[in-house]
Amino acid sequence: MFFRLLLESLFRQRRRKLLAATAILLGTATVTAMLAIGTSVGDKLNHELSSYGANILVTPKADTLDVVVGGVSIRPATAGSYLRESDLTKLKGIFWRNNILNLSPELPLHATLTQAQPSQPATVPALGLWFHHTLHYGTESYAMGAPAMHRWWRLQGAWPADAALDQAAIGSKLAAQMHIAPGDSVALNGEPVRITGIVSSGDATDRTLLLPLALAQKITGQPDAVRRVEVQALTKPEDALARRNPDSLSPALHDRWYCSPYANSIAYQIQEALPNAQAEPIRRITQGEGTILQRISGLMWLVALAALLAASFAVAASMTTAILERKQEIGLMRAMGASQFSVASLFFAETALLSLLSGALGYLLGSLLAARVGWEIFHSTIAFNPVLLPAALGMALLVSIAGGAPSVLRTLGMQPAAVLREDG
Amino acid sequence: MATILQSAVGSEALIHLHGLTREYASRAGAVRALDQVTLTIERGEWVAVMGPSGSGKSTLVNILGCLDQPTHGSVRIAGTDVHQLSRQELDRFRAETIGFIFQQFHLIPYLTALENILLAQYFHSMTDEDEARRALASVGLGDRATHLPSQLSGGEQQRVCIARALINQPPILLADEPTGNLDAANQEIVQEHLRTLHRAGHTIVMVTHDPEMASLADRTVELHHGRIAAERRADLTAQK
Ligand SMILES: Nc1ncnc2c1ncn2[C@@H]1O[C@H](COP(=O)(O)OP(=O)(O)OP(=O)(O)O)[C@@H](O)[C@H]1O
Ligand SMILES: [Mg+2]
Repeated sequence: MFFRLLLESLFRQRRRKLLAATAILLGTATVTAMLAIGTSVGDKLNHELSSYGANILVTPKADTLDVVVGGVSIRPATAGSYLRESDLTKLKGIFWRNNILNLSPELPLHATLTQAQPSQPATVPALGLWFHHTLHYGTESYAMGAPAMHRWWRLQGAWPADAALDQAAIGSKLAAQMHIAPGDSVALNGEPVRITGIVSSGDATDRTLLLPLALAQKITGQPDAVRRVEVQALTKPEDALARRNPDSLSPALHDRWYCSPYANSIAYQIQEALPNAQAEPIRRITQGEGTILQRISGLMWLVALAALLAASFAVAASMTTAILERKQEIGLMRAMGASQFSVASLFFAETALLSLLSGALGYLLGSLLAARVGWEIFHSTIAFNPVLLPAALGMALLVSIAGGAPSVLRTLGMQPAAVLREDG
Repeated sequence: MATILQSAVGSEALIHLHGLTREYASRAGAVRALDQVTLTIERGEWVAVMGPSGSGKSTLVNILGCLDQPTHGSVRIAGTDVHQLSRQELDRFRAETIGFIFQQFHLIPYLTALENILLAQYFHSMTDEDEARRALASVGLGDRATHLPSQLSGGEQQRVCIARALINQPPILLADEPTGNLDAANQEIVQEHLRTLHRAGHTIVMVTHDPEMASLADRTVELHHGRIAAERRADLTAQK
């Protein structure tokens, strides 16, 4: 009988209940969406922001002792001027390895480029790079390279294969100047090389030939050599501690410094891992990333809170009128000997059912909304977060019970005669 | 005479109201709906309560049915001082002892005739659909079980209320103007039901404006301004 009564009365006062249900639905949908976005926006935005390039530059230590005479470096090209490509694996062994998103080693050189049709050979700047290099560390492997580091590079054609010694990509201006199209064969220092793609970057790369690192090492005769490495790492915004000199810190502070993903401490660890390397944070966007993130998730929480508040008021208002309209019914049940408890449980069960239904729908809607927003803004979906379902249901339940309870309890507290007297 | 004799000879009366006063606070000062009403009703007696509008008839019946509490005075029903009961005990007591018939039929609008009766069973103890159907049939509505109140006439709705009031076999039946909203034919049907119940031994307290209805009762109590102004027994001439 209880469930029969529950079901029958659930579909009563459809307009009011629809109103309350809509308020709950919209409230939970907004909160779910905001929380879903808020919890994943951190990662997404971090990736998004840090996709704008490197934030740590690693160079050989000898470089810092550069001897410049009359604007010309007279530093001898000693072995110390190079990093070892094979050492880069070590970077995935440092404490903050998971924060290191990408590595892009570079080896600059000059080479003689000759087109297939007999023409003047030209000496052009070239750069040895990883394109889609697979870095193995233990059982894991990571895809890394220059294209991911420079997201703004536009490619026409394909990237050279990292292992290929007869492939290259060419900067757009150089290509235009020398009338080279993707697929053309050219000679590089006399060796045949096929141009796989044309790159436009808007910077000096447009006038550069891009070679697989292995080819560049072969041409320079420096196997395993790397001139510098760009590192893209997720970092924590710089604060007072970050700027301290780690060697001057107390052991406890040093530990804290070391275990915070500041650009500085990651750079410090890179230096530890690569003995003759110098790692320097590049201050670009890194600085602002954290602050933006904090502001955005703060905003999300605020919107979520506002939505919840608005929903509670709407629910409370419509629950109150819905129950006042049914006062007669309450009085009647009491006259039939129904205890306050059984009447209250009936009304609360109905409220709970209504709010759980609309809360579940709200969760679905909110998740869809979050996924949609994720797609629009980050071009990646925000997965349904099952943890938010109980949160959404709990919220819906709380809001509606809190909204309906005062009027139910007040009516139950009255003498049944007084309730029956009042016209519903 | 007879009342004194009965209470002296038999066991305690079924209903014993003593010095009942009910005041309502209002902006214009307190309204005294009942003023020192003392009344004894025997088991199986049929009492009609009459009086002008606002004289306190409904207030009296509501207090009798434990739907309201007196400001002063005591209500003893079947040896129980109602005032001594806890909330839960009072709910239980109401479910066990009293059946209500109201002037405005007071059916739950979204439940069918049958379900309205089942509801009374549910709040009392357990639902028994066969029994509920028999109760509907006994008021001549066996074929209207699945109709909603809005699909029934006033008289039919009132008959559902009677079936509902009786389903738990309460010893006391309280009826506040049960025929107030009915035409002559339906009034006749309701009267017939009440007569049957009276013969079956139910105690009936009935508010009415209609002298013809009142003439069916064993005794008529007349209220004026919250006081008992006159009491008549059907077989005797007016006392007092
Ligand atoms: N809840 C209340 N609040 C204030 N005054 C009330 C309340 N209930 C009843 N009264 C007053 O108490 C008095 C008696 O009311 P009651 O309903 O008992 O009259 P009644 O005899 O049943 O009248 P009627 O024949 O019109 O039904 C009236 O003056 C009424 O205004
Ligand atoms: Mg009345």
